[in-house]
Amino acid sequence: MTGGDASRSHVDVITIDNLVKRRGSREILSGISFRARPGRVTGFLGPNGAGKSSTLRILLGLDRATSGAALIGSVPFAKLPDPLAMVGAMLDGPGAHRARTGRAHLRWVARSAGLPRARVDEVLEVVGLTNAASKRVGAYSLGMGRRLGLATALLGDPEILVLDEPVNGLDPDGIRWIRTLLRERAASGRTVLLSGHLMGELAETVDDVVVVNEGKVVADGTLGEVTGAYRTLEDAFFALTTGAAS
Amino acid sequence: MRALAAETSKLASLPAVWIATAAGVVVPGVIAAITASAALGAIDRGPAAIAAIDTGYQELAFGVVGAIILGVVAVSSEYVTESADSGGGRQITTSLTAVPSRLRFLLAKLSAIAISSAMLAITAAVTTMGVVRVVLGEHAPALGADDVPRLAGVACYWVYSALLAAGITVLTRHGVVPLAVLIANTSVVSVTYLLTKITPLANYLPDMAGVRMFIRKLADSTAEISPLTGGLVMTAWVTVLLVTAAISFTRRDA
Ligand SMILES: Nc1ncnc2c1ncn2[C@@H]1O[C@H](COP(=O)(O)OP(=O)(O)OP(=O)(O)O)[C@@H](O)[C@H]1O
Ligand SMILES: [Mg+2]
Repeated sequence: MTGGDASRSHVDVITIDNLVKRRGSREILSGISFRARPGRVTGFLGPNGAGKSSTLRILLGLDRATSGAALIGSVPFAKLPDPLAMVGAMLDGPGAHRARTGRAHLRWVARSAGLPRARVDEVLEVVGLTNAASKRVGAYSLGMGRRLGLATALLGDPEILVLDEPVNGLDPDGIRWIRTLLRERAASGRTVLLSGHLMGELAETVDDVVVVNEGKVVADGTLGEVTGAYRTLEDAFFALTTGAAS
Repeated sequence: MRALAAETSKLASLPAVWIATAAGVVVPGVIAAITASAALGAIDRGPAAIAAIDTGYQELAFGVVGAIILGVVAVSSEYVTESADSGGGRQITTSLTAVPSRLRFLLAKLSAIAISSAMLAITAAVTTMGVVRVVLGEHAPALGADDVPRLAGVACYWVYSALLAAGITVLTRHGVVPLAVLIANTSVVSVTYLLTKITPLANYLPDMAGVRMFIRKLADSTAEISPLTGGLVMTAWVTVLLVTAAISFTRRDA
C-alpha cells in the first residue's frame, strides 16, 4: 500500500527544472524551478507577463525551452504513452474551434484517447454544460468557455491537472465549484497545478504557492510559508512582485 | 489509429468542410450541365460536331477547388483564435496535448485530408459524369477502359491538391491567403497557366503538370507531358512541400 503510493507519487510529480526561454533577444524565463506534488494544489502566481503561461506551454510540449527541463514524473509530456489519462490541461480559452459545438469538440478529443462517447456526456454534466452542449463554441460566454476547457481537461480523468487561470471569467458560483473540484482531486492524491494573478480566490484553494515575477521565481513554499509575516497572501504577493518592503 | 479517428471526427464536425464538399460536387456538376447543354445545341445544329474528348474532365479540373478548400480549412481551423470573450485560445493547443507527437499529429491530419478528398473526388466524378450522360444522352462520349486511369488521375489530382493546400497552410498558419491565391489560380485567372505562355518550364508547376493525368487536350499547350510524367511531377511537388511543412511544424513553437 505505502509502496504503491510512493511509486504513484513519483510519476505524478511535476518538476520544472531551471527553465530558460528566450524569444529574440528577450529572456522571458530566466531559470524557473519548482515542483508540484501529488495530493496538493499548487498555485503558480505572478503579475501579467511574469511568464506563467510560457512555463505551462513548455511543460505541455507546445513551446520549446531554450534550456532546462519540464517533466511529468521522469519524462517530458511529449513522451507520455497516454497523455490525456495522465495530464488534463487548460490554457487560455477552451482550445476549441468556434464553429464546432461543445459536444463535437469533446468528442474528437475523446476519440484521440480512445475514450467512449458516454464519457463526453459525463464531463459535460460535471462542468454544468449539458444544456449548452449543442451550441457552437463561438456563442459561449467567457465562463462557459472555461467550463468547456475544464471538461476537456477532465475527459481522461487524469492524475494531473494543469490549469492556466481557471477562475478567470467564472461567476462566484463557478469559483466555488472549481475550488471544491480541485480540493477533491488533491484530497484523492492527485496533482493540481494552477496559475493565476491572485489571490483572494486562490488563497482558499492552494496548499503550495510559487510566485514568479519577470521570469524568476521570487517565492516558493507552502501557503503559510509564503504568506509569512504578511497579513494575507495578497499582501505578500504585492510585496514580492513590486519589490516593496519585505 | 486513434489520432486518425480524431482528425476524421474534426473534419466531419467542421461546417467549412461541408462547404468544401458542396463546392467540390456542385461546381463541376453545374459547369458540366452548362457546357453539355451548349454542346448538345451544337450537335443538334450540325451532325459534324461531337462532344469533346475532355467532356466532364475539364469540369473536374475546376471542381478541385472543393479539395483545396478542404485542405486549407482542415489546417487553418487549428490556428483560428477563439473570440477574445472565451479567452483567445487556439485548437492546436488541445490537439497537441491530445496527440503530443508532432509528426504523428501531422500524419493523422494529412491522412484524414487525403481520405476525405479522395471520397470527395469520387463523388464529384460520379456526379459530373452522370450530369454529362443525362444532358447529352446518346451523344455523350462512351466511358471505356481508357477512362479508368483517367478517373484515377482525377482522384489523384484532387488528393494531391488538397495535400498541397494543407502543406502551404501549415507554413502560413492562416487560411485566408492560401485560400484566396489557390482558388483564384484554379478559377478566375490561372497564373500558372499564364506563366506557361512565358516559359514552357511553367508546365511543370504542380497544377499544370497534375491535370495531364486526365486532361488530354490542353488548350494551347506549350509542352508535351504524358499522364504518367505529369503525375510524377506533381508527386515530387507534394513530397517536397510536405517534407518542408513537417520540418517547420516539428521544430517551431506551436
Ligand atoms: N508568442 C510570444 N512571442 C513573443 N513574446 C511572448 C510570446 N508569448 C509571451 N511572450 C512574452 O513573454 C512574457 C511572459 O508572458 P506569459 O504569457 O508567459 O505571462 P503570464 O504570466 O502568463 O501573463 P498573464 O498573467 O498576462 O497571462 C511576456 O512579456 C510576453 O510579452
Ligand atoms: Mg498567461
